[in-house]
Amino acid sequence: MSEHAPGANPYKIYWVTWGILLVITVAMLGAEMFHLPRWFLVLFLLAFMMVKAAMIGGNFMHLRFERSNLAWMVGLGILVTSLILYTFITPESWHVKQSTDHAAPPTAAAPAESTH
Amino acid sequence: MEPGAHTATIEAGWGGGAAPFGASWQKTMMWIFIVTDALLFSGLLCGYAFLRQANASPWPDRTEVFSIPFIALMTFILITSSATMGSAVTAARIGDMKKALMYVSMTIVGGAAFLSCQAYEWSHLIHEGARLTGPIAGSELIEKGVTPQFTQAFFVLTGFHGSHVLSGLVILIITAIRTSMGKTPPQGVEMAGLYWHFVDLVWVFIFTLFYLL
Repeated sequence: MSEHAPGANPYKIYWVTWGILLVITVAMLGAEMFHLPRWFLVLFLLAFMMVKAAMIGGNFMHLRFERSNLAWMVGLGILVTSLILYTFITPESWHVKQSTDHAAPPTAAAPAESTH
Repeated sequence: MEPGAHTATIEAGWGGGAAPFGASWQKTMMWIFIVTDALLFSGLLCGYAFLRQANASPWPDRTEVFSIPFIALMTFILITSSATMGSAVTAARIGDMKKALMYVSMTIVGGAAFLSCQAYEWSHLIHEGARLTGPIAGSELIEKGVTPQFTQAFFVLTGFHGSHVLSGLVILIITAIRTSMGKTPPQGVEMAGLYWHFVDLVWVFIFTLFYLL
């Protein structure tokens, strides 16, 4: 598969992508200045982060023009592995936070009753 | 089963032949390396998520600790260097090695500028009292709510990324020297480009998850 149509400016794709990445970055910085609800801001930033990643992977790293099994292996492989890792560590981090929140002050530390 | 028949069975089932991804072995190996390196950063970012979610005190306001416009400038530099690198890959592919060398040189300037900005950011924060083990006693960072978990996440994430930028810069300098001597094939520029774009890709995640979120 060719990534350039005959006669087209072969450099254009990089500078168009550069422009879009810049606009998205400015939009992400701008979103920080408005007092948006936290959940909306998080979703907004995560969504645009993924758009930026897809644009860099697809246009700069040419994944759009490679055979689809390579793109799937790379994109899905990294994403799914990262999500599994995050899903497994998150409950543990909440557990740590809860136990810290409920811990007695160090000066009056009681002996731990439960062990893992 | 005959050895030849066994090979034929594998070929029929897999169907990839000598190039399962339709790419050269150099590119396939580069992608496998990038996937493993991405998983390293995935692990680091998940470690950061753990520290942040498990942190008993509120996470410090990044706008008080860092200059966000300065971080935005670093992002701008890296995105621009990625665009020049992409142009270098295209120039090499169409056989214009002179233009490829020019774009690689521009990318080197961008990479060096990014590293300089990072060195400034690190020295500024260290001067304010930030250490890998946490802010030092009496530091104004403590008043800003900076915890040891915060400085650990900052130095480890940006340190690993910065070391990747540095190694990318070395690869680019070697590529530029070899290109000027007429020794780099177009694919050599493409491999250097893939690594450089990966460094940019990682920054997108660090910038959003650490500095903005």
